[in-house]
Amino acid sequence: MVFQSLMLLARNKGPDEFWRKRKIFRIAAHFIGRRRNCYSIAIRNVHRALVYSSKGRALKKADMRALWETRLHAASEEHGISRYILHEGLMRSNILLNRKTLMDLAVWEPRTFKALSIIALARTKQDGLNSVQHLDMPDGIITRGMLK
Amino acid sequence: MSIIQRSQQWGTFARIWHLYDAKWQDPYLSAERIKMYLMGLYKPIYHPLNDCGDHVVVINSYDIALRGDEWRRRAYFHHTGYHGGASWTMAWEVHKKNPTMIMNKAVYKSMKGNLQRRYSMQRLHIFKDENVPENIMQNISNQIKQLRPVPLRLDEIPPQEVAEFPKLVKYPENYIAQ
Repeated sequence: MVFQSLMLLARNKGPDEFWRKRKIFRIAAHFIGRRRNCYSIAIRNVHRALVYSSKGRALKKADMRALWETRLHAASEEHGISRYILHEGLMRSNILLNRKTLMDLAVWEPRTFKALSIIALARTKQDGLNSVQHLDMPDGIITRGMLK
Repeated sequence: MSIIQRSQQWGTFARIWHLYDAKWQDPYLSAERIKMYLMGLYKPIYHPLNDCGDHVVVINSYDIALRGDEWRRRAYFHHTGYHGGASWTMAWEVHKKNPTMIMNKAVYKSMKGNLQRRYSMQRLHIFKDENVPENIMQNISNQIKQLRPVPLRLDEIPPQEVAEFPKLVKYPENYIAQ
């Protein structure tokens, strides 16, 4: 829109009232009772709903991360190591898999995950971490440190 | 779905029955471990909305061990709802009345208070001794490791073995041990 003077800009009320309100009612369409039919109530609830959805986007990521960690804890305990040993061992072996991928492997490819957990344990054992001192070195793992 | 995948599915989601021997174990620390099995937290397929919790059968709850003098110190609170209806019962007294109650409450308190908790508790079966009904015993397929080994008491060791144990000090005949 082109305004030829400030006066005209000030007089301009924006889009038509019907269309302005319709945008809000469209968002409030699934609310119940007067919250979807009366504009002054609908707008309040739409604002609140939009705030919730903004916060929810961050919460969803945190929730998923917590779920992955719970599942990884279960999966690595199954093979006798803690989740921290799994992460530490994989990082030291330069196997850069994130939580989601590791969790997917643990659920859908349990043997692959078992191999990864054995590698993590062998690497941490080889590096002499205190928390794995009581565990036995797994068989059949050849690392660069052994080759020399 | 092939028959292998079908049985794999069945094996993944079947309820497992676990046995836990509570003899000489701390009920509050054991509860943290039992909770993992009741809620299915030990499975990589865990999800709060998926029904993957298992059954746990706890035996020998009469022989649980509380730390220090907690039998005398720890109080269990109850309120009837009427005025002056509050009562505090010591742990030893609760245990005397019902040998499964301390274990039951410990597991109940270890879980978060949500709608699922009551249903998880229904999968917990506590027995004061080793007499478990046959229909429960035949379901069991796994044993949960105890938190710490049960120590052997001196009076349980055969007297011959005690007599043959090498002595470091030979006390004189007239020595009085305090």
